[in-house]
Amino acid sequence: MEKAKIGAYQLFVLILLFELGSAVLVPIAIEAKRDAWLAILLGMVGGILLFFVYYRLYRFYPKLVLTEYIEKLVGKILGKILSFCYILFFAYSAARVLRDFGEMLLTYAYVNTPLFIVNTLLILVIIYAIQKGIEVLARTGELFFILLYLLAITGFLLLIFSGLFDLKQLKPFLEDGWGLVLKVVASQTLYVPFGEAIVFAMIFPYLKDSKKIKIAGVCGILLSGINLALVMAINISVLGIDLASRSQFPLLSTVQSIQIAEFLERLDVFFMVSMVIGIFFKVSLYFYAAVSATTILFKIKEPSKLVYPMGLAILFMSITIANSYSEHIKEGLIVTTRFLHPFFLVVIPVILLGIAYFKNWGRKRKSQNGAKNASMSQKG
Amino acid sequence: MKRNYLILTLHLILCVLLSGCWSKKELTDLAIISAMGLDLNDKGEYVSTLQVINPSNVAGGLQGGGGSKGPPVTVYTATGSNIIEVNQVASTKLPRRRYYAHTNLLVIGEELARKEGIDNILDAFERNPEFRMTAVIIIAQGAKASDLLKVMTPVDKIPANKIIKNLKFTEEQWGEFFTINLQNAIKDLTTTGKSTVITGFSVSGSPEQGKKLENIQDSDPETTIGATGLGIFKEGKLINWFEGKTARGTGWILHKVKNTGISFSWMDKEDAVVYQIIREQTNSIPKIKKGKPHITIEVKAEGNIMELRMPADLMDPLVLLKMEKEIEKTIKDELLLAVEEAKKNKTDIFGFGEAFHQSYPKDWEKLKEGWHDVHFPELAVDVKVDAYIRRTGLRNNANELQ
Repeated sequence: MEKAKIGAYQLFVLILLFELGSAVLVPIAIEAKRDAWLAILLGMVGGILLFFVYYRLYRFYPKLVLTEYIEKLVGKILGKILSFCYILFFAYSAARVLRDFGEMLLTYAYVNTPLFIVNTLLILVIIYAIQKGIEVLARTGELFFILLYLLAITGFLLLIFSGLFDLKQLKPFLEDGWGLVLKVVASQTLYVPFGEAIVFAMIFPYLKDSKKIKIAGVCGILLSGINLALVMAINISVLGIDLASRSQFPLLSTVQSIQIAEFLERLDVFFMVSMVIGIFFKVSLYFYAAVSATTILFKIKEPSKLVYPMGLAILFMSITIANSYSEHIKEGLIVTTRFLHPFFLVVIPVILLGIAYFKNWGRKRKSQNGAKNASMSQKG
Repeated sequence: MKRNYLILTLHLILCVLLSGCWSKKELTDLAIISAMGLDLNDKGEYVSTLQVINPSNVAGGLQGGGGSKGPPVTVYTATGSNIIEVNQVASTKLPRRRYYAHTNLLVIGEELARKEGIDNILDAFERNPEFRMTAVIIIAQGAKASDLLKVMTPVDKIPANKIIKNLKFTEEQWGEFFTINLQNAIKDLTTTGKSTVITGFSVSGSPEQGKKLENIQDSDPETTIGATGLGIFKEGKLINWFEGKTARGTGWILHKVKNTGISFSWMDKEDAVVYQIIREQTNSIPKIKKGKPHITIEVKAEGNIMELRMPADLMDPLVLLKMEKEIEKTIKDELLLAVEEAKKNKTDIFGFGEAFHQSYPKDWEKLKEGWHDVHFPELAVDVKVDAYIRRTGLRNNANELQ
């Protein structure tokens, strides 16, 4: 662990940028058709509950990160194995998001450029940022947060003025019933992007004021959830359900439809800039989590030396994980959301929380007469 | 010192990366395509027509139109069996790289629209990131797209721009024809309860003469192009043309009419008064009455009296009220005419089916099957018009011969 401190506002910004990340660009929850926004909002509620699980775990060990307290909770050997799995998970997720970035640029703008070059350019910047540490990343986040929201608000106003909204296209509400929506929530939106907030379990101990984590986290997830639902609702009400579900990047198509006064059109750059910002933070945070977990697991003294090799590993992973965009997306929907995410984001944290309760409950009984204050401070 | 040199070298290397010239496209190497046309030839192959801008012949407007000795656009054609091929084959004739980012107009020949339909030719355009979904789509009525794109046009030198602006302003002022872009067309094609309508342009005069630059050197050009019909589609294929009041009625229902003028009879004199709309609002409200679908079209129009061809006391509000009744009746007739015509053609161009889908999803399940052929022609349609006369221009009564 490095010696760094970040503020609650910075945590909020990081969570927000992380959650928006790539999710705002791809057709998230589109399987729920016109009710995609509802599936996102319900996923957000589940995401907040999951966040409480991570937060409660942190309250038990306020000085430790996820991969450290795993060892304390499940024992040395199993703990090390699990930590290693988490490193792989974080690195794989970073590679997936990096691939998303490359695929988007190649599909839309740089058709003739090799994927390797595009991904290299981004990972170089990310390696640099991670080497500077979490504080720098958080400060960068504050800056880009403002830029991203300026773009988003401008884009939103332009959409309103261009008169493209047709809210009727969101009807009929719940055409296929609650079943489909809940299925999408359970198989997708709960994990991507909301459950992914588990990377922040690797960052919580850096907070200056640990009491504000809860409010920062909940606000971050709430705002990002509302934004994602709004974006998806806008996409559908502008494009219609057919175009929105056939678009690889619905937000791009929506932004491209803006035409105001003959000159305010082709605002694709809005999409591109927000894409680069969002993906930069998502990859960075996953990458950071992977690096810091590796440092802890293998007791490496200089984490900055790890950044280059791991960056290269992620770069190569991002290129080799799939042969085509379809394969990449299919992997993302089947392999990760069905097998990896439930396991890493829900099952393990919940079991850990159970063990933590059990252990601390035992400890509490022993010291019932003694330090009452100590147990008070452990309550969330 | 060594370190400084290292940093300097690194910066120099980065310069190469940062310039971002991986797949550069020089401006002077681009053939900017302003419009693209698609036709079907006798063998059933596609023929594409690319209208390429000649930059040197359109520039220099500030210097008094200097340098316009040659034609502002040059047209290239090519044949092939699919859209990508047909465009790539065109490169055998073009001296530059084809550039579609400014292609704002897609013209489809009537034959192609009738025989093959437009559904499977639009995919290539959607998929291509260079092509814009906001490009306007029109049909070449009674002509080939290639003929339409070859005609030289005055005032707006680039024919593609002339067509786009032509359509935009006629929509604003008359409302019979309106702009449909690729995105709208695809949206309608993929919606079960709505059929597509696309404006048709036709060539009047000889296409041969229209190709020549002399065509625009005349104050009354021999060959001109203009919007002449509203093409209505069924299952992606063009089946009929709407013109005149039928077309404008369609525009009313689709809420495209903005500033049109309506003439109505007054005191038994035909076309005695002209009422011009300032703004209007149309809503189609679906209802299921006793298991039968029922549509109410509600129109609210506001406007002024802009022409009075016989004496009438426009200062009397009661007269205006009576006139409003006449206007409402005229508008209602126009709307019902459009609905009747669409019913005859068995295609729901108004999106009534989609309105049922949105408001009565359960009943729609039953109606969906054969909506256009069975349910739509039997659909009960009610029209309610509220017209308001707000002002009467600079005069109250009309001039009278004494």
